[in-house]
Amino acid sequence: MEFLIGITGKDFVLTASDTSAARSITVMKSNEDKSCDLNKHNIMLYAGEAGDTVNFAEYIQRNVRLYGIRNGIELTPKAAATFTRKELATSLRSRHPYQVFLLIAGYDITTSSPHLYWIDYLGSSAEVPFAAHGYGAYYCLSILDRYHHPNLTLDEAKGLIKKCIDELNNRFIVNLSDFKIKVTDQDGIREITI
Amino acid sequence: MDAFVNRFKGSSTFLADEISMLDGFGSYDAVKEFSQPVFEIPAVQNANCTDEKSDSECRIKIEHGTTTLAFKFQGGIIVAVDSRASAGNYIASQTVKKVIEINPYLLGTMAGGAADCQFWQRELGRHCRLYELRNKERISVAAASKLLANMVYPYKRMGISMGTMVTGWDKTGPNLFYVDSDGSRYKNDVFSVGSGATFAYGVLDSGLDYELSTNDAIELGRRSIYQATYRDAASGGSVRIYHVEKEGWKFIGLYDVGKLHWEYCGL
Amino acid sequence: MAGSYDRALTVFSPDGHLFQVEYALEAVRKGTCAVGVRGNDCVVLGVEKKSVLKLQDPRTVRKIVMLDDHVCMAFAGLNADARVLVNKARIECQSHRLTVEDPVTIEYITRYIAGVQQKYTQSGGVRPFGISTLIIGFDPNDEIPRLYQTDPSGIYSAWKANAIGRSSKTVREFLEKNYKEGLSKDETIKLTVKSLLEVVQTGAKNIEIALMTADSVIKNLEIEEVEAIVSEIEKEKEAEAEKKKKPTASTS
Repeated sequence: MEFLIGITGKDFVLTASDTSAARSITVMKSNEDKSCDLNKHNIMLYAGEAGDTVNFAEYIQRNVRLYGIRNGIELTPKAAATFTRKELATSLRSRHPYQVFLLIAGYDITTSSPHLYWIDYLGSSAEVPFAAHGYGAYYCLSILDRYHHPNLTLDEAKGLIKKCIDELNNRFIVNLSDFKIKVTDQDGIREITI
Repeated sequence: MDAFVNRFKGSSTFLADEISMLDGFGSYDAVKEFSQPVFEIPAVQNANCTDEKSDSECRIKIEHGTTTLAFKFQGGIIVAVDSRASAGNYIASQTVKKVIEINPYLLGTMAGGAADCQFWQRELGRHCRLYELRNKERISVAAASKLLANMVYPYKRMGISMGTMVTGWDKTGPNLFYVDSDGSRYKNDVFSVGSGATFAYGVLDSGLDYELSTNDAIELGRRSIYQATYRDAASGGSVRIYHVEKEGWKFIGLYDVGKLHWEYCGL
Repeated sequence: MAGSYDRALTVFSPDGHLFQVEYALEAVRKGTCAVGVRGNDCVVLGVEKKSVLKLQDPRTVRKIVMLDDHVCMAFAGLNADARVLVNKARIECQSHRLTVEDPVTIEYITRYIAGVQQKYTQSGGVRPFGISTLIIGFDPNDEIPRLYQTDPSGIYSAWKANAIGRSSKTVREFLEKNYKEGLSKDETIKLTVKSLLEVVQTGAKNIEIALMTADSVIKNLEIEEVEAIVSEIEKEKEAEAEKKKKPTASTS
């Protein structure tokens, strides 16, 4: 019952994830951050099979960092997404595939443009203006289809995320009490509240 | 960790045999020393032979019924567990020790397969000691719990059953982690694990306050486990309580839930 | 096959020497000089840079490298060997974070590097790394500056200040004479530059300085900054020479 969402705007990407970590019917933790910073301008949100998610995310994170420190230049969002997709595709054909759903959001400092990649455990990867994973996507994608436009300002994007969260709280059977919302732009990644 | 290094074999500038020369250097790889079974791994066949949920006639029924809990408060961490071991409908023991003393300042709790928990936490203890000898300082609770999670993760879907809390006091203060055989690992202030966890959570969450005195905290832990044993058939025996302090853990006591019942009834 | 211990690496000479390792140490002594100095709340690396040829891109020649966000290394000896070692160390840094969450301690990564170097003195078909390294940084959740040194034999040790490479003995003696406890940031940088000037005749343009402060932020000094320090040092030297002259003048 996890939920991830990402929206690209004019010069930023806004991402949000729910914060509950559940085991069977119990919420073990209600402030879990389901994202990790790949580098200064790239963030990865993850959901899926417990254990696989964090292990895969950290594995990717460490490799991206290693690339940065080895080459003195950081991976762009596209490069990070391509690498991640390939790792997932390799894993899918192994004995124990990682069952993870990902959103990679980043700000490409070389072209000054925001990017968002939607990736699933089958190794599909797509660059999209907005994306969501989980049951929440069924409610939110229509909202985003209706209101999203390429020149979205940060305030508009915040409003959009709020609309999505309100709809989930209103219609979705599971209570996703809290969300971690982050902005990725020119200055890097930072957490915000709405 | 070797898997991590192996990933670089293909793309990197140096040769594969060079890496193998350095294999195991400075690494803590239990998997290396605990070789994988030579037969077909059960997880690949259709059913898991220890999973009672998907197959009630599964071949191995392991001990599942348990209530364990741990929570942070101003005086450190309280760890409380029950002591019943059950296998199916049968109570195998009423005096099991479900707290594993990994070393004088690290505690692990036991829920799920008793043998799995015992084996992996002993293994963890060994690694922690090695870490200590190599690095001349005690391992942090975060690192210890991560080692445990990393050790069991390669065996995911092979039938290991383990839900454990790793607690202790390190440079950063008291720490509490939940680690299970799925490979998940969470840090939090309160955890309860086992079949009676829901009952324990009820009492624990409603009575929890960070500013609790040590005696009140111990009482809250004891009461929560007692209430869980009252409702959960698979939990019972005695309540075993530990207090994690700056100087390490301290054993508080063992309380028979039968006696506690009459005490709490006011008799 | 008399004298084959001279070439085969894993064979001792009759008097207990491993000649290849000693030759590696010789390669280090031929390398450009590197200095490390620990201050009160900072640690500085200084290296002697080879003059960049007119048409060469100076960015491609690096003697101070990052191993992780909080660890920095300088080396003396064979550049190409260093690259291999740095690569191994960088993987270990990330690997360590992956296995135990925490970043490496400076001693840990030093021990790892020294361990790799030692392995290459005891394995068949390889030759030792022809480099010594100076490793600086701050441990996670810690304010104490760290400075370690490794050499081709795989020995590692901690220092308050040390030098490796060409004329390292002169520089070390200079440091022994001039090192004081509790140096401030500026004093540490100055001492590093001063000690390097003992062996670098060409001044600021052949000196590279990296400063790490307790927040584990590394700062590479710009050439202008180094120039300013060098000219300051030269002025002081002149003043001192002046002072020495004066008393003789008054007595005469």
